[in-house]
Amino acid sequence: MKQDFLKFPLHLIVRPFDGFWDMKYEGKGKLKVALLILLALILTTILQKQFAGFLVNRVDPRSLNSLDDLEFTILPFLLFCIANWSITTLMEGEGKFKEIVMATGYALLPIVLINLPMTFISRFMTQEETAFYYLLNSISSIWFVVLLFVGIMTVHQYTPVKTVLTMVLTVIAIGFVVFIATLAFSLGSQIYWFIFDVYREIIFRT
Amino acid sequence: MQLKRVLLLVAIISLVASIGIPAASAAAPYEAYTYDYYGDSSPLPAPFVPDAAITGESLGVGDFKEPSDMFVAKDNTTYILDSGNARIIVLDPDMHVNRIIETFTNNGKEDGFAAPQGLFVSDRNELYVADTDHGRVVVLSEKGELIRIIDNPKSDILPAGFKFVPLKVTVDAADRVFVIARGIFEGIMQFDDKNNFMGYVGTINVSPTVWDRLWKSLSTKAQKAQMQLFIPTEFSNVDIDPKGFVYATAIDITSNTPIRRLNPSGDDVLKRLGYWDVKGDIRFRMFGNNSGPSKFSDIKVLGGGMYVALDSNRARLFTYNDEGDLLYAFGGRGNQLGVFNTPVAVEKIGDKLAVLDSGKKNIVIFRPTKFGTLVRQATTEHYNGNDDVAVKIWSDVLRLNTNYEIAYLGIGKSLLMQKNNEKAMEYFKLGMSRKNFSVAYKRYRRELLKEQFGTFMTVVLTLIIAFTAYRVARLVIRRRAVKHEAGLS
Repeated sequence: MKQDFLKFPLHLIVRPFDGFWDMKYEGKGKLKVALLILLALILTTILQKQFAGFLVNRVDPRSLNSLDDLEFTILPFLLFCIANWSITTLMEGEGKFKEIVMATGYALLPIVLINLPMTFISRFMTQEETAFYYLLNSISSIWFVVLLFVGIMTVHQYTPVKTVLTMVLTVIAIGFVVFIATLAFSLGSQIYWFIFDVYREIIFRT
Repeated sequence: MQLKRVLLLVAIISLVASIGIPAASAAAPYEAYTYDYYGDSSPLPAPFVPDAAITGESLGVGDFKEPSDMFVAKDNTTYILDSGNARIIVLDPDMHVNRIIETFTNNGKEDGFAAPQGLFVSDRNELYVADTDHGRVVVLSEKGELIRIIDNPKSDILPAGFKFVPLKVTVDAADRVFVIARGIFEGIMQFDDKNNFMGYVGTINVSPTVWDRLWKSLSTKAQKAQMQLFIPTEFSNVDIDPKGFVYATAIDITSNTPIRRLNPSGDDVLKRLGYWDVKGDIRFRMFGNNSGPSKFSDIKVLGGGMYVALDSNRARLFTYNDEGDLLYAFGGRGNQLGVFNTPVAVEKIGDKLAVLDSGKKNIVIFRPTKFGTLVRQATTEHYNGNDDVAVKIWSDVLRLNTNYEIAYLGIGKSLLMQKNNEKAMEYFKLGMSRKNFSVAYKRYRRELLKEQFGTFMTVVLTLIIAFTAYRVARLVIRRRAVKHEAGLS
């Protein structure tokens, strides 16, 4: 238990090359853990927006919506995983979809680990000290990107150059997916309203 | 039947009575508002309500014709510059016609004005008239006698064949005359008391954007010749505050600083510490009706650090305090009393406001409401450093409008002065001022640390000692166990 949920993820984020290798080939990674980290990320985002100190919290309280936070964390996560999987399948990546999800999930851990305490500490900061808040938050983001990079590289057994290329392609693929999804949604809703209108016509005529 | 009749009678009486008695709240034909921290306009109780309109007809001097400026002197004498009729109408404090200045004696000959656009009355009640079409500034004494004429400025920096067309004029305590002239983009023209041209103040710098520069570098010579020149905009109006700072407005729709406060060396020293730029409306439509940023046509210093600027685009009045917070905005276009057609000048008469409307040919007098009065008093007290008094008034303001962030800010600042840091934090939070909150919090934290330092250190030291003791004890027990197992003891 402790090994899966605590020790291994913590080991992974400080020794990513080793960690992701173990995750893929030693079967140490658990999908459950990755999804739990994603859940924790959503939770910390909500907590941060709600409870971060006044000096660093620029969120309009009228716009706080936890469901939005949920959507806008899970959707990009899935989108990235799907797009990356689609691209890497074509580019001789060795990773399975499950492994991509796990690598991405584990990579998110630094953000969770740094944001949660910073939310608390930010309540005791003056304006000059908020620089540390922003610095540490930036570090957590950079850490996440590095982990993601190493994770994708290890999972697919790519060279660094190829990883960068797939990352760029992944972003483009995300764009495609969003575009297609919007198109499908728009067409779908038009079809829906068409059928609905026909139904209404029939109802009124009889 | 009887009951029905009685009821009917009661109904009729109450109906008639309700017509007879005017509504208790004075109706204003506009909505007053300010912009909150998030940039949304937040409605306010009207700070001013229209009281009366004064026309030339009601004064008995015949209709105004294109009135262009107005000035209220220290002794509440009102001077109206009736441009189309080339006359100055002087009203006494009770708003009755005192006299009309139409002509003055110039070198033994009778002389008059031609489409004058600007008027200023100095502290010694000398009239400065920007006599636009004659290309001169006429200075008259209180009785209408000519003192001096400023015309044809001569200087090396003026081009040959320069035509002097003064539009607006203002004068400082040292009799320096500031003139806004047509076609002058260098700034406000400054004249000394001997009618000599001294130079320009308050030049507006233009900075083309990167995009403009790129575009220009790519275009041909012929295209460049066709391009719009990057000329600074002209100033539209000036006023002077008791300290001798010149407040100037510019109609520059691209600028975020259309209002400037110029110090004697001509630098802009207006404080802009509010949530938003000091530029009138910050939210407006980009296209269509009532679109575009505010265009200021007049500005008036109200005292207590406050100034009111007249937006000729949407015919609104914007009042700011000395820190650049928008206190309130009100007014609009329309036909009722209190809204304008073409407002050209704003003045204050005591605690009232007067707006000269060139289109409607009248002057509308605005009377402050309780809200307006309280805000003005509180701002003035705070400006003068009487923070205790200001807090009381600000809390009255909050009773009238709980969403007035500036009041929270005012109370917070006073509390900060009184070293009531914890309470000040609360008010700064409500007033959405992070900078002030940080200051209050820093002090509060230091205070708390000073108080609690002893307890804090005791706890920390106790914990450290306890922890060390635990480790030592564990070590000792383990060693003993090892020895025991080895059968040494």
